[in-house]
Amino acid sequence: MRWWRKKSELDAEIEAHIRMAVEDRVARGEDAATARHEVEREMGNVALTKDVARETWGWVCQERLLQDVKYAMRQLRRSPAFAATVITTLALGIAAPAAMFTVVDRVMLRPLPYADAGRLMLLNAASQRNEQGGNSGAPYLDLQEWRKWSRSFEGIGFYAQANGRNFLEGATGTEAVGFYKVSANLFAVLGVSPALGRDFRNDADGFAQSPDANSVILSDAAWRSMFGADPGIVGKSVKVSGTPYVVAGVMPRGFTFPYAAGNSLFGGGLDAWTLAQLGDDDKGRTDGTPDYTVVGRLKPGVSEKRAEAELATLQKQIAVGYVDPEARQKHSGAWIEKYGDSLVETDTKHALFMLLAASGVLWLIACVNTTNLLLARAMARQREIAVRGALGAGRWRIMQQFIVEGLLLSFCGAGFGLGLALLAVKLFARGMKHHLPLPVSAAPDWRILIALLGLTLVSALVSSVWPAWMSAHAPVEPALKQGGLQSGAARGQNRMRSVLVMVEIALSMTLLVGCGLLLRTLYTLRHVPLGFRTDHIIVANMQIPGYKFAGENMTNNLYMPLLERVKHLPGVQSAGLMSEVPLGGTFNIHLELKMDAAQSPTRKSWKVDALLNAATPNLQQVFGFKMLAGRFFNMQDTPSSQPVFVVNRAFAREYSPDQHDLSKVVGMKLWHITSGKDAEIVGVLDDVHQSAIAQPSQPEVEVAISQVTPESGIYKTMEGIAMDIAVRTDRDPKAVIPELREVLRQADPALAGSNFTTMDQVVEDSFGSQQLAAHLLEIFGGSALLLCVAGLYGLLAYVVSQRTRELGVRLALGAQRGDLLWLVMRQASVMLVSGVVIGLALAIASGRVVRSYLYGVSARDGWTLGIVAVTLLLVGLLAAYLPARRAAMVDPMEALRAE
Amino acid sequence: MAPKENYKNRIELLQGTLDMLILQTLQWGAQHGYAISQAIRANSGDVLQVETGSLYPALHRLERQKWVKSEWRQTESNQRAKYYQITAAGKQQLASNRSRWAQMVAAIGGVLEAEPE
Repeated sequence: MRWWRKKSELDAEIEAHIRMAVEDRVARGEDAATARHEVEREMGNVALTKDVARETWGWVCQERLLQDVKYAMRQLRRSPAFAATVITTLALGIAAPAAMFTVVDRVMLRPLPYADAGRLMLLNAASQRNEQGGNSGAPYLDLQEWRKWSRSFEGIGFYAQANGRNFLEGATGTEAVGFYKVSANLFAVLGVSPALGRDFRNDADGFAQSPDANSVILSDAAWRSMFGADPGIVGKSVKVSGTPYVVAGVMPRGFTFPYAAGNSLFGGGLDAWTLAQLGDDDKGRTDGTPDYTVVGRLKPGVSEKRAEAELATLQKQIAVGYVDPEARQKHSGAWIEKYGDSLVETDTKHALFMLLAASGVLWLIACVNTTNLLLARAMARQREIAVRGALGAGRWRIMQQFIVEGLLLSFCGAGFGLGLALLAVKLFARGMKHHLPLPVSAAPDWRILIALLGLTLVSALVSSVWPAWMSAHAPVEPALKQGGLQSGAARGQNRMRSVLVMVEIALSMTLLVGCGLLLRTLYTLRHVPLGFRTDHIIVANMQIPGYKFAGENMTNNLYMPLLERVKHLPGVQSAGLMSEVPLGGTFNIHLELKMDAAQSPTRKSWKVDALLNAATPNLQQVFGFKMLAGRFFNMQDTPSSQPVFVVNRAFAREYSPDQHDLSKVVGMKLWHITSGKDAEIVGVLDDVHQSAIAQPSQPEVEVAISQVTPESGIYKTMEGIAMDIAVRTDRDPKAVIPELREVLRQADPALAGSNFTTMDQVVEDSFGSQQLAAHLLEIFGGSALLLCVAGLYGLLAYVVSQRTRELGVRLALGAQRGDLLWLVMRQASVMLVSGVVIGLALAIASGRVVRSYLYGVSARDGWTLGIVAVTLLLVGLLAAYLPARRAAMVDPMEALRAE
Repeated sequence: MAPKENYKNRIELLQGTLDMLILQTLQWGAQHGYAISQAIRANSGDVLQVETGSLYPALHRLERQKWVKSEWRQTESNQRAKYYQITAAGKQQLASNRSRWAQMVAAIGGVLEAEPE
């Protein structure tokens, strides 16, 4: 504002000067017109005078910048096609890393809702670090020793999930909640205290020995949604799974523990915490001793490494307390992990970083492409620049002009890119619900915006500095003299641009190879024989209110009647129950039992270690399990008949007495889970993968539901927590699921909250990171291909238009049109072939990055490399053909006359 | 291009001397740009002609240094014009400029008058 006032004052001042000078001359007898003319001649360049005067104010930088921006906008308006191409390219290039950064940020860098969360560690008693990221925790006696002797931690707390599924009875209804047994000091270790009421009373040993034993602390979300945010909740009695507790406090909004990203964003999940109770089995160190997840807060300044070393030394002495040698070995060391790190699977972390790198490559391609386009433009504007130079513009001034243009383009690109990125993150989150409970907020947070700004600035600099430098340092004279488009420097620049296109092709090649490899992996995964059918199956992961059936036989009173009703739904062919459907990833029960040594004399250990699954006979009709040997369960397997097991191939391979004939495992006797009886193995299932298709299947034992009676020790765990119902039907799942839900509701209202999906979806979800990586790389690879084709086309089209005259001369001198076509195609081929060759080398070199995501295909898979190379060549040639044809169509007369 | 002979008899101002001349001119009272240029021209016997291209940037520079201050006033012929007035700091500056100038003249004179030994 001040500047504008000063500017108009200056204008007025000069105007006054001119008027006075004219008046003086008129007074001396000159006529008005001549006087004015003379004065103006004497004054010289008035605009320059004003410029120089303004410079003394020190505003000149801003003023020039404004000029440049205005000029750049005019330039872009004048060539909208060019502007659109560059902006689209940059938008693509900026959107990819911005979206990936958002995801990485959300998943890995998100601050946890605890005080100074970087110092929170998970502590484990184990002989070695679990690289898969599973934290085994420690039994009570061990962690108590840690608390006593360790000097590295400010506090050590622990928790365990309460057994089974738990339901909180609120004022408005009953809902499934996360229910955790925690040490009294846990919230203090986390550095968070209740927003309402008080924390647990902290006893010396961290366990409840006080009236707090039946206290409960609720999460903010549970308090709001189930008790209508009742301010007088503290001190009231609430029931969790039928047991009464007194509410001691309510945690602050957004607090969630154990941390779940989705919960945190939506104001916390439905959670309740109560004090862990010391049981008799906590007082020993045997197989049956429960493990707790141990959370410690490092003292400030103590490194992770030092704490771990101290704990490991301690644990070595503590392990002496284990009587069983196997258990002693298992607990002979200790390792710790940042709590934040434990929340993301290693596999996912790698996948995300790989994808971030891939998006970076895409960004690089976009920048190279933009550089190329700007170079072409700089050459087309050589004359303009030469004129500016001749009129006295400094080199820096010219460069500034170009960089401002680059910035303007970048910011436009970033604007679109931001939109694209948000859209991509939305899609990403929806596609990845299963593996990453990713919170998606509509507004990008400041970190994303800063990252985006950084990307934009760097993009602008990377892509415009070189063209700016080139044009600012180009000699002025030849450009002015020649006047036309053809100038001497063009050849060198064209070579440079060819190199850029080659770089683009090579980079795209790497991305496409990665994409190809992952697609092949997915293809292979999809064609791994699963050992069962997946089509037309609806699966419900039931939310079982186990506490309501205490003392009853759930099989008879809940499951069987329910199954019967489901079977009579229209269109249902068969229905069965299973603790967990294959690949379900919801729950598993680990079974360890001893077998009779005489049955497998070759084995060193007689311990049987397998996953346990309960199933009903008709499951066979639903899944069509392939039997390797023997039979599946049938209706004759009742509580009173001979207990039977069905095992899988992995089990047979591990425990069969004869490794060459796996069917020999049939007839083997194992200690049945119902005490006092031996179970006979009656059948072997073909392999069933439990967690992921890419992972080898683990030994598994199936037990008939009818034979799991309330007397068996495992009954409560087996029937009260996990049960999937699988239904085979030809009808549309969308129509059947509501009917199923209704049937479940009739059986028990809590069951209506069960989770429904289809078996095809379950299998699809189990592909996990490969699926995600493949889909994203498809997008990245596709964009890269598009960009490099655009780059190639742009360069050739430019070269052809530049050489029109030369081509015309060639034609006039007798060249055939085919020769001209070949001339351009040859240039394209050189770029394509060298780009592809460099790309192949890069792809092979970077194979290491993707290797861990591949299944059934090598990182140097010849087919993939070959197909990608050929595709790239063909698409490239197609892109080259258009300008080549234009070259061949040149009319010699027109071409020669054109200039 | 414009013929150059008009300027033949004029001497290019030495770098830095314009500021001194302007400040000196303003010693006798506040003046606007045109009057300053006329005064310098008249007092130098038409030898020194200050071009507007140098005069106005110089005035603005002096104002930025706070050696002169300006205000809009009416001229005798009822024109609105920007008058510049020398400040206390400007007077100091002028004094130091003048003594440097005197030194310079004496020094150059000494060199020019020197007889070979």
